[in-house]
Amino acid sequence: MNLRERRKRRDAASAYSTPQEATENDSMTALDQPRPLSAADDDIGREKRLRMFRLLLELRLTEKRAYDLFLQNLVKGTSHLSLGQEAVAAGFALGMRRDDYTFCTYRGHAHTLARGAPMSGVLGELMGRECGVTAGKGGSMHLTSVEHGAMGSYAIVGAHLPVACGAAWSAQYRGTDQVTACFFGDGTTNIGAFHEALNFAAVWKLPVVFVCENNLYMEYTPIGTVTAVEHPAADRAAAYGLARTIVDGNDADAVFRTASAAFARARAGQGPALIEAMTYRHSGHSRADPAQYRPKGELDEWLKRDPIKIYRERLVSLGFPEVDLGAIEADTERRVNEATEAAKASPPPPLTLIEKDLWADGGVAWRN
Amino acid sequence: MDILMPQLGETVTEGTVTNWYKQIGDAVRADEALFDVETDKVATEIPCPVSGVLAEVLVQAGQTVKVGTRLAVVSTASDANASPAAAPEAARASAREAAHTATPSVAEHPERGAQAFAHSRAHEQDAAARADARAVAQSTDARPDRERKLSPVVRRLLAEHGLDATAIRGSGRDGRVTRDDVQAHLARQEALGVMEATANARSAVPQVTSPLPPGEGPGVREAGAKPGERVVALNNIRRRSGAAMARAWQVVPHVLQAVEADYSRIEQARRAKQAAWQAREGFELTYLPFLAFAVCQALTRYDQLNARLDADTLIVSRRVHLGIAVDLNHDGLIVPVIRDAQDRNVAALAREIRRLALSARSSKLKPDELSQPTYTISNSGVFGTLITAPIVNPPQVAILSTDGVSKRPVVVESPEGDSIAARPVGVLAQTFDHRAVDGAYSAAFLKELKRIVETRAWIEDIV
Amino acid sequence: MAELTYREAVAAGIAQEMARDERVVFLGEDIGAAGGVFKATVGLFERFGPRRVRDTPISEQAIIGAAMGAAMTGLRPIAEIMFSDFFGVCWDMIANEIAKTRYMTNGQISLPLVIRTANGAGSRFGAQHSQSVENWAMAIPGLKVVAPSTPADVKALIAAAVRDPDPVIVFEHKSLYAVKGEVPDGETVDTLGSAKVLHPGKDCTIAALALMVPRALEAAARLQSEHGISCEVIDLRSLVPLDTRTLLASVEKTARLYTVEENPRLCGWGAEIASIVAEEGFWNLDAPICRITTPHIPLPAADRLEDATIPSVDRIVETVRRTMD
Repeated sequence: MNLRERRKRRDAASAYSTPQEATENDSMTALDQPRPLSAADDDIGREKRLRMFRLLLELRLTEKRAYDLFLQNLVKGTSHLSLGQEAVAAGFALGMRRDDYTFCTYRGHAHTLARGAPMSGVLGELMGRECGVTAGKGGSMHLTSVEHGAMGSYAIVGAHLPVACGAAWSAQYRGTDQVTACFFGDGTTNIGAFHEALNFAAVWKLPVVFVCENNLYMEYTPIGTVTAVEHPAADRAAAYGLARTIVDGNDADAVFRTASAAFARARAGQGPALIEAMTYRHSGHSRADPAQYRPKGELDEWLKRDPIKIYRERLVSLGFPEVDLGAIEADTERRVNEATEAAKASPPPPLTLIEKDLWADGGVAWRN
Repeated sequence: MDILMPQLGETVTEGTVTNWYKQIGDAVRADEALFDVETDKVATEIPCPVSGVLAEVLVQAGQTVKVGTRLAVVSTASDANASPAAAPEAARASAREAAHTATPSVAEHPERGAQAFAHSRAHEQDAAARADARAVAQSTDARPDRERKLSPVVRRLLAEHGLDATAIRGSGRDGRVTRDDVQAHLARQEALGVMEATANARSAVPQVTSPLPPGEGPGVREAGAKPGERVVALNNIRRRSGAAMARAWQVVPHVLQAVEADYSRIEQARRAKQAAWQAREGFELTYLPFLAFAVCQALTRYDQLNARLDADTLIVSRRVHLGIAVDLNHDGLIVPVIRDAQDRNVAALAREIRRLALSARSSKLKPDELSQPTYTISNSGVFGTLITAPIVNPPQVAILSTDGVSKRPVVVESPEGDSIAARPVGVLAQTFDHRAVDGAYSAAFLKELKRIVETRAWIEDIV
Repeated sequence: MAELTYREAVAAGIAQEMARDERVVFLGEDIGAAGGVFKATVGLFERFGPRRVRDTPISEQAIIGAAMGAAMTGLRPIAEIMFSDFFGVCWDMIANEIAKTRYMTNGQISLPLVIRTANGAGSRFGAQHSQSVENWAMAIPGLKVVAPSTPADVKALIAAAVRDPDPVIVFEHKSLYAVKGEVPDGETVDTLGSAKVLHPGKDCTIAALALMVPRALEAAARLQSEHGISCEVIDLRSLVPLDTRTLLASVEKTARLYTVEENPRLCGWGAEIASIVAEEGFWNLDAPICRITTPHIPLPAADRLEDATIPSVDRIVETVRRTMD
């Protein structure tokens, strides 16, 4: 396939109306197949769907709020929003146990929130407040909440894949059935650590699920123009003896089913998985990026498949009362507002933090 | 010519050579500073008596030897084959040669060639090479600036102990004073029972500025001090003279006698001549030279006070070597000596007193200007004292204090009757050793002194 | 007391800690069945089995990353990087991830892990297998750095490193692996951040590390016997934490400081030590601080060139002799 053909296929994928890869799929779960919408009590169930909807809204509204706060100059530094990619974070998080581990990237607000980190802690961190999840020491790109299993956001592309292997190794060695989920972008598939980690995990049969969120652009450059294969993650799975798995990353249910299957295999000692979730970033790479490199109309096409929008439509079609959904929306909005106010009210971190916690003894001394 | 340890005072039996200004092979001119000597009384620079080349140094800096010990040999043109000018250059040249042959070269050590190659790139070797180059360059400098090369620890030690770098012989490269040199110097002083050095007493010598931050410099070392107290270290001169004073106080039976003298005639002479004197001589005409003259006159009549006590005998001197105690800005007392004061008039005495005081304050006193006074005047008068009881400094047998002069009402007798007049009056107080003379003898001396002060036509003594 | 080689002492140190603590696991290239390319881990695989002594692919990022992930989730891993030069390929893991994670997470994550590596020259391996990179590690906040010079020290410092709650990099010196020395019997654990005065002296202080320690000791003996110069030799042993007290106390006594460093000149560890002593021991110095280092060049391979590049006993003797005045 030459470059032009690849680009054509990418464009087709970006329109994303039909799951064109489904037929060549050899994995446990393919792109989401149309399912009967008559019964809400299917394999996912009512309760989980409402939790999913609530979670999707939390991620969406918190990210939007982060953007608003940035416009008010209350969020300093950089921030990488995952508006439009919420279904990946929500779908995987809902498939995890409380003691499982999540490793994510600098685009990690949604993954950290999805594991249960408080909204005020995330917004406060972005605003450089004491209430932030790392009290302002990590910042937007290093959100961490160990008590929620969010084992860190890693800002050097690829770095956390080997680290996720280590956490998975630890679970394997300790004989727990904890799993590790490791999220990264399409751009990560071209860095060495990706390949080292995939091989390492496969050889040691580690309980780790690698999740490539393919939003079509590494930073500003379309991933297809710099990658030797069509699907940067899935097309490389075979090199490590893994199944080629692609999922509609904007369909939270599809993500949840794929994740659950992969986690089950990992817990059962059947080794790692590599999943490529097709999705789209509504905003630019970072707050500095207006994303003018995108072809005209591409965003509009993807907005039609907005994960929140399609999930709400699904719930309505499954018979969830509109009033219940409205109540969840109102409640989530209220909670985000409260979290925002809490973060705004939080003081900046004390200067004593500067010389704290380099070492386990709490200090920073390097000499006697 | 042999250079001997001079006697820097009649009670001085030994001295410490603290520094040689010249190294062997250096040319030295007559009267150029050759070495420093420190005794219990003084630290002073000793000039070379002749021109020549320093041929031998027999007593190294730091050594303490008896008075009269041969310290060095200066070869003069008459007793040396080499000309004085050529010798030092030759000595330096041979020293350089020796230094160079001591440095291993690649040619001499072919097996170390690679290493030497690597060395040339290594910074520490560059540094060493630069140091060598500096050494050669400085060895040709007639006046190496040793101050500039004092290391941090040496600066600190000098400041802490109030030492002067020039008083310490340097054993390092180019004569640099090393820490070990300072510590050896301090150890010697300690062995002498002297913890503090003389720099404070040598107030005219530029002090080593303390390089320490505030609170760590000399003079604020508060060890042993309670809150609100301050420790003042005793300098060498004060410690040694203090010990001598204590001994004198224990041994000598002191008797104090005093008379009041009317200074009107001296005051008259001063007032009349002061302007011209100052214009001509450049300094103020004080009471002291008049009194010195009067003392010499009185001593010629009562010469048993111009004497020294030696066992059971009193050795009376015909000549008056008059010691004048000079305060060194409250940092010690020194007693330069006017030789043969009995032969000098008031003006000559005034000039000599002035010269000696200046020399004392700049440590430039020559040995014979410090040795063996036969009688001493201690002049506290400038401070307006009423009376002072000075301590006799054996083997001298007496000492005179000249106290403050101020106008007082005095009954003046005249044929027309008594009247009260305002006259400048001051006390002349003499302490004497009762083993040497009796009170009547001392009193007679004082009476004679008073008479001379009050009756001499002093105005004729000053041109 | 038993006489062990440095390499045997390395294995003894790891074995001591693995036997003591089930959480201690060991991973690296060729460390298991092969016993290590420097034979410093012989017997561990046989004793503790493949579950705890794990051979890895040639994937330095994966090795270090895995150690990090394991450390943050309850294990106490020891990772081996075969040659310290290979830090270059996993420096992101070491410098960006491991070193910073505890600080960045406001103390949420601790990383009790050890990275062992073979450091230094003397094997004629050339510029990419002979470097001394302890100064790289020292420059990164969040890493502890030790470099033992004797069998007894390497065993007990590895033990201390394993028990330390923070990341510790242990630089073992390739040219010391064959050196023999007395190692106390039984469990030995040292203290990180303590220097040792190996040879007391009064005229100057020589601070050295790893392979430079035996060279400094030999130089000190020669300086004493041939030139009457009494050198105090300090084995720093640990760069982070740094035992500045021992160092400053020694310089207070001797008034002179030499560093003997195998790392290239610029920003070598001696520069930091010189800076500390210049700042805090200035008023005790009687001469400029002198650094004896490898020149600022990559290392040549040929024995003749390599020997002339690394500070030698001759060079230490010569430099000290020429600069003592």
